[in-house]
Amino acid sequence: MNHLVKTLTAAAMGFGLLAGCASLPSDSTRLAERTAPVTMNSVVFSDYNLKRTWSGGLFGDGERYRLSVVQHGQRATATGTTEVYAVLRNHTDYDYQIEARTQFFDQDGVPTDVKPTWQRTTVPANSLSTYRELSTTAQPLQYRVEVRELN
Amino acid sequence: MLRKTALTTACALATSTLILSGCAGNIENVKGKPTVYEDVSSTGRVGGVGIESQDVVAVTDQMMRDMLANPMLTGRSTPPRIIIDNEYIKNESTSVVNTNMLTDRLRIELNRAANGRMVFVGRHFSDMVQKERDLKRDGAVDGGTIRQTAAQAGADFRMGGRITSLDAIDRNTGTQSRYSQISFEMVDLELGTIVWSGLYEMRKAAKDNVVYR
Repeated sequence: MNHLVKTLTAAAMGFGLLAGCASLPSDSTRLAERTAPVTMNSVVFSDYNLKRTWSGGLFGDGERYRLSVVQHGQRATATGTTEVYAVLRNHTDYDYQIEARTQFFDQDGVPTDVKPTWQRTTVPANSLSTYRELSTTAQPLQYRVEVRELN
Repeated sequence: MLRKTALTTACALATSTLILSGCAGNIENVKGKPTVYEDVSSTGRVGGVGIESQDVVAVTDQMMRDMLANPMLTGRSTPPRIIIDNEYIKNESTSVVNTNMLTDRLRIELNRAANGRMVFVGRHFSDMVQKERDLKRDGAVDGGTIRQTAAQAGADFRMGGRITSLDAIDRNTGTQSRYSQISFEMVDLELGTIVWSGLYEMRKAAKDNVVYR
């Protein structure tokens, strides 16, 4: 009986350790980002290798990230167009080559402005990098920035 | 014996739960059908150190947005007349690229986005316009329905620029590296001053096995 208790305790500890290390892979369909509602004035990682979160399941809630968003926002330029910025932080010891693009929406949530284009930049290891994008129209806009790793 | 049966049942139950949880969810996360088409703004299956479609799209997109945020160009009460063509764009780089791809995309996207804040003069079509004007003045055709002007439109600004590059090669690995710089400048056609400048630079490294034509 005593032996069984010891074995179960060891198994529970091992399970606990494993749960601490467990991570859902980026191609898992259980990642929260896959079905998260589309929010305006936000920055999202469309590459789940860079950042992913999940809830429930065998190992409970979790999060894994290599990059994160420090801050983001918008302001008007001298001609009335919108400038969007996002400050990204690299938490790894390696430089990351990324692509980012901004989709603009008007105040009713209707997509507007020109077709978004991927802009390439590097986020140095353990450092910050700022992504900027300008709109072409002078009307008030909402934005959604998407970030992915460069292939 | 009883304990062993209970353990076996628990294990079986846990395994089936795991298998079932693998089937849960509505997302079918699989790759789509293979195709010959690729996204022009992303690096494709064939990639080298030269100027490629994603660079043409990125550079023209960046310049367009930057020009529209410049009050010298778009903050005027009377929209300025602008010429954007490849007449004064020089390719001094080792990359094989038709500079018309840059100027055409820039002019067209800018014209669409500016929506009247800038007026573009089609100087590369001037001979076409002149032929029609001559036919009208000779009486071979009527005067059209819009208006007649004394002359074709003169421009306020014209785009100039240059593409330059710096190459390096690792003889041991055959890896080639190229730093490319694409510069654009908008020149005042009366004063000669430069009212706007834009620079796009990149460095690429790859095995030298891609041929550009």
